[in-house]
Amino acid sequence: MEKTKLDGLLSLNELQLSEDETASVLGAFEFMEGQEKIMDGINTENVEVMVHVMPMENVLREDVREQPFTREALLEGAPEHTEDSWQVPRLVK
Amino acid sequence: MKEYITKIGSGDLAVDDTLLTKGVETTAGSKILSGFVPLFSAEAVERAVKAGYTVSGKTNVGEFGLDLVGEFSNYNDGDEVLRGAAAELIAKGEVKGALEVDLNGAPRRAATLSGTDFIKPTYGTVSRYGIIPCACSGEQVGAAAANAAETKKLLAAVAGHDGKDGTSLPAEAYDYSCGKEPAGMKAGIITQLFELASEETKAVIKGYAEKLKALGVSVEEVSVEEIAAAQSAWQILMAAETCNNVSRYDGVKFGYRTPNYKNIDELYIGSRTEGMNLLTKTTVLYGSDVLSKGRYFTCYDKALKVRRVVAERFGELFKTYDLLLAPACGKTEYKKYDITRAFETVYGESVFTAVPNLIGIPAMVTKGVQLMAGHFEEKTLFKIAESAEGTDK
Repeated sequence: MEKTKLDGLLSLNELQLSEDETASVLGAFEFMEGQEKIMDGINTENVEVMVHVMPMENVLREDVREQPFTREALLEGAPEHTEDSWQVPRLVK
Repeated sequence: MKEYITKIGSGDLAVDDTLLTKGVETTAGSKILSGFVPLFSAEAVERAVKAGYTVSGKTNVGEFGLDLVGEFSNYNDGDEVLRGAAAELIAKGEVKGALEVDLNGAPRRAATLSGTDFIKPTYGTVSRYGIIPCACSGEQVGAAAANAAETKKLLAAVAGHDGKDGTSLPAEAYDYSCGKEPAGMKAGIITQLFELASEETKAVIKGYAEKLKALGVSVEEVSVEEIAAAQSAWQILMAAETCNNVSRYDGVKFGYRTPNYKNIDELYIGSRTEGMNLLTKTTVLYGSDVLSKGRYFTCYDKALKVRRVVAERFGELFKTYDLLLAPACGKTEYKKYDITRAFETVYGESVFTAVPNLIGIPAMVTKGVQLMAGHFEEKTLFKIAESAEGTDK
């Protein structure tokens, strides 16, 4: 894993690391590179991927409008909010 | 040192902090969710209460349940020997049972260390509605108690179809009391896992095998070459799914917000960076990597195919064996360690627990031994565990 690639992943995931943490993460990636190779010992030619471990089918609920929670209740959990909205820094100047 | 449990009342049931409890702060052991008070409770908690249990409190877990037994939560500071919160409370008789989410084997390891019972049931048999999710395709709500009978009772109370969970299976309830008698059963000890364990752990497995033999179960070693690949596959899938699931924590709608920001990017980055520990960050970054262009097919897609191969292999094994035995931990005691080594340390131990998460089979820890069976064979595990416990009396 190159540092530049790690920087890209950090940016994608909105994260930052200290120097020590970077060394630890790069070490973990190097470790996993070796572990991933173990899967090469399993022949998966013509094997279908298994996303669900149990047989499942998507079931869609009726599209019925409801309001399980009030706006006030949802806002109460926010770190900062106005009377009727979540509050974030100004996005457009 | 902080307490294992945040008390709510004087009840008999502990609920781990990855299960939502209405009106009670629920953080999944993470600073990023500090101050988060759910508006509803997890379905499993609701069902347990309906069945007569009363919630004693929320037990601390490692951040999102990713560590060994909760060592990177906020309660083990200063403790040299690691223990899981819920399992310890059960062992001390402070609660009768606990509901815990098994993402990567932490409750199974904790039960082993504390000498209690825990079952991760077949995937889809207990509702995941209202848990704080990480790896949706393999994590399950499980039941813990001091013995097999109590564990069975708690699991029966919470299992069954829930229309609010898209992964919930159709059966309305499960009868765990109809397991056949052990005499004549066949059990296999997974050689690869047995060989990896310490001498003390091997002695525990051997002792349990002797108990099974005394009950008329034939026991032999069985080689399962796919074990190490299954471990890699689960790590890849778990990391990828965790990466997606924790992307929702941004310091805007709930939980922690950094006090140091001038714009929206600083708010996101600061909140996530300060709010999650290094193990979670490493898991997220690795999960993001295996889903990236150039890695998706060689790594993530390959892991999904390995999952099928492993599922078919275990399907074949369960045609021969009624159950499989393995350690849930490599040793009988974990010592405190530094978080910079957490990713590799947890990975090393997950070899013992990965398969049930990867392919959704039930796995039960009892008397320090992990028992696995085919899908919906919890009744077999309970029957064996209860019978083996009976030999102690």
